[in-house]
Amino acid sequence: MTGCGGNGKKETDKKTLKMGVTNFADSLEPTENYFGWVVMRYGIGESLTKFDEKMNVTPWLAESWQISADHMAWTLKIRDGVKFSNGKPLDAAAVKASLERSFAKNKRAVTFFKYNEIKAEGQTLTIFTEKPEPNMPGFLADPLFLIVDVSAEASRNFAKEGPIGTGPYMCQSFVKDKAVMVKNPHYWDGEVPYETVEIPSIDDPNTRAMALQSGEVDMAVNIAAGDITLFNDKAKFHIDRISSLRTVLARINQKGILGDAKVRAAFISACDRKVYNEVILKGTFIEGKAPVPPSMDYGFDQIQDPNSYNFERAKQLLAEAGWKDTDGDGILEKAGKKLTVDFVVYNSRAELPIYAEAVQADTKKVGFDVKIKTVDYNLIDKMGINGEYDLLISNITTANTGDPEIFLNWYWRSNHSGENPQNGSGYSNPALDDKFAQLSIEFDRQKRRQLIIDIQQMIVNDGAALFFGYPETNIISSTSIEGAKMYPSDYYWLTNKIKPAKK
Amino acid sequence: MALLTKDKFLFGLYTVLVLVLAGFALFAPWLAPYDPYDAVMRHSLQAPSAEHVFGTDKLGRDCLSRILYGTRTSLLMTLSLVGIIAGIGTFVGVVSGYMGGKVDAVLMRIVDMMLAFPGIVLAIAIAGMMGGNIVNTILALAAVSWTKYARLGRSLTLKLRERDFIAAAVTTGTRPRQILWRHVLPNILPTIVVTAAMDIGTMIIELAGLSFLGFGAQPPTPEWGLMLNEGRQHIQTAPWLMLYPGAAILIVVAVFNLWGDSLRDILAPQRAN
Repeated sequence: MTGCGGNGKKETDKKTLKMGVTNFADSLEPTENYFGWVVMRYGIGESLTKFDEKMNVTPWLAESWQISADHMAWTLKIRDGVKFSNGKPLDAAAVKASLERSFAKNKRAVTFFKYNEIKAEGQTLTIFTEKPEPNMPGFLADPLFLIVDVSAEASRNFAKEGPIGTGPYMCQSFVKDKAVMVKNPHYWDGEVPYETVEIPSIDDPNTRAMALQSGEVDMAVNIAAGDITLFNDKAKFHIDRISSLRTVLARINQKGILGDAKVRAAFISACDRKVYNEVILKGTFIEGKAPVPPSMDYGFDQIQDPNSYNFERAKQLLAEAGWKDTDGDGILEKAGKKLTVDFVVYNSRAELPIYAEAVQADTKKVGFDVKIKTVDYNLIDKMGINGEYDLLISNITTANTGDPEIFLNWYWRSNHSGENPQNGSGYSNPALDDKFAQLSIEFDRQKRRQLIIDIQQMIVNDGAALFFGYPETNIISSTSIEGAKMYPSDYYWLTNKIKPAKK
Repeated sequence: MALLTKDKFLFGLYTVLVLVLAGFALFAPWLAPYDPYDAVMRHSLQAPSAEHVFGTDKLGRDCLSRILYGTRTSLLMTLSLVGIIAGIGTFVGVVSGYMGGKVDAVLMRIVDMMLAFPGIVLAIAIAGMMGGNIVNTILALAAVSWTKYARLGRSLTLKLRERDFIAAAVTTGTRPRQILWRHVLPNILPTIVVTAAMDIGTMIIELAGLSFLGFGAQPPTPEWGLMLNEGRQHIQTAPWLMLYPGAAILIVVAVFNLWGDSLRDILAPQRAN
């Protein structure tokens, strides 16, 4: 009896994988918001290209690609023998339909590139662009451009039931709290080890750690800094931690009180970021300075931060800007107005409220009154676009195209009439816009690198954002499974390389 | 006689304890070894030691100081809340009971409506809509808690209304306002006070609960519920962050409940007989 029960359990263990994640998506519609990330992370969708461990662009659904002599067209060869999870073969026409769908449904698509025409012939896809697009292969790796079977949409609600993609798993059921994946019988790239994958969304980082400790899940992503030491037992857990491509930053709204360059510089100077990262977050974050993290080769060390921690300078700048404490409450005033700023944060990443509270405590010492407003993650994108904040915290991946151009563009290129919606801060620097214009058509790697360094230095000089730090990211897995691996690009969590450990 | 003395002794004892707690709140600035807002981040998450008796939190603030100041926050919030609900509730109840008729019907239907909602859930919804801060939490809990006093005030007034001294007052031409103020209120006050005293403990927990959920006090306010929530992130690595605020809530609630009970025994001796 006991033997039977034991065997039975092992059998299900080998057929079911449980992955504890944090999920921000309300639906699995890949073109809505950033939900495509989730579709890719859950192993449903794949894109034409993929980033490897070093952020090089490698073939995925596209086997190879090349740019035309005039730099205005990219030709991609679509891999033969790939099938969607409904059995329909993947050809260039299906890819074309899927790309056009992404462009039609999400405004973010045109911030990557604009096309005049997409041509499909057999397995050959040609994209004619409006202007030269040096980084096209990297763009196509973005989850927004993951390939779905558009013709299947007639009989399937992608948002609720998940799209038909080419990934190793397909969606069986999805609600925000829990997704269940099943094996894709038509998968093209090797064997799919699990029949079922259960993906509970455990948004609270400590609960996620406990779920992994108790064996409720086999693997979990992004265990919080303070909890990593709980998994040091190598016989039980495997920790895969790498420095990510992410930056934790606070966008600074220049239409409010922080529009005054001196006040902004004072605010940034008042924050002792070294202590936040090294002491409070126990060194799981690298101290922030510039937009692009040091894990990528874009001149981190040569960028000078005029607003590094300097308590006295912060006080002096505020005095120069005319702020004084007239009523003795420790908060400065000017023309009857208090030096109060709203700091919008969300909680699903453990470090965000910690940074916010540390900033609140530090800036209070020089006379700021920081009001922390905690909101749901789904409101963050909209609040950022509408500029409904003084400071707004974000944990952003800087190189989702393998190159930080898009990231820098989104948040800091001028947005005069809604042409660059992600920049809702009112920040605008014509000299910087010129650099962006040069960067967008530059093909030479060295020149690109130098332009990106220049751009970063200008952003830092302007105090356009408060760069907190650069996180490590991790997947921690039980030793009963193997192959769980964290990539810098953060799109590839569930793959068919994750399988039961051989014992 | 002996029983009465024991009641009085206990009441005295618990009153002393309540005063001690009130003393903590009043004299927090002198008792606390550090400034509760002073974040010495290099001393983050230190275990309890001679220097920091209850340890430090994630920003290096002294937990003992924060708990002492938390007494202030909690007691102030709770007393204003209980004051508001007892005041408004009793007023509505007395008016409703004395006037009767349409006024009574309308007021009591409103009370019925409020009672039909699950209290704490409605409070969460109200606090969530108004945005989290201390005042809004108090208003949210007040909105769902006053009904109890309205019911109580009404039934006590109904009983009194039939008494001869009220009839005498009516016959001698006393105005309704005077009757309510001079004759009704003093007679129902002891019961209301006892109920309010016994409510203090519950309200401390409900306020801390809302703060724990993020609808009440906001960082960096030293508030026990909020401190529990902040400590939750470190429950496995720095358990003192939850232990001491939790113990503080336990002790204060226990003291106020015991005090409320003993007050009831004093003010309503017929129950003891």
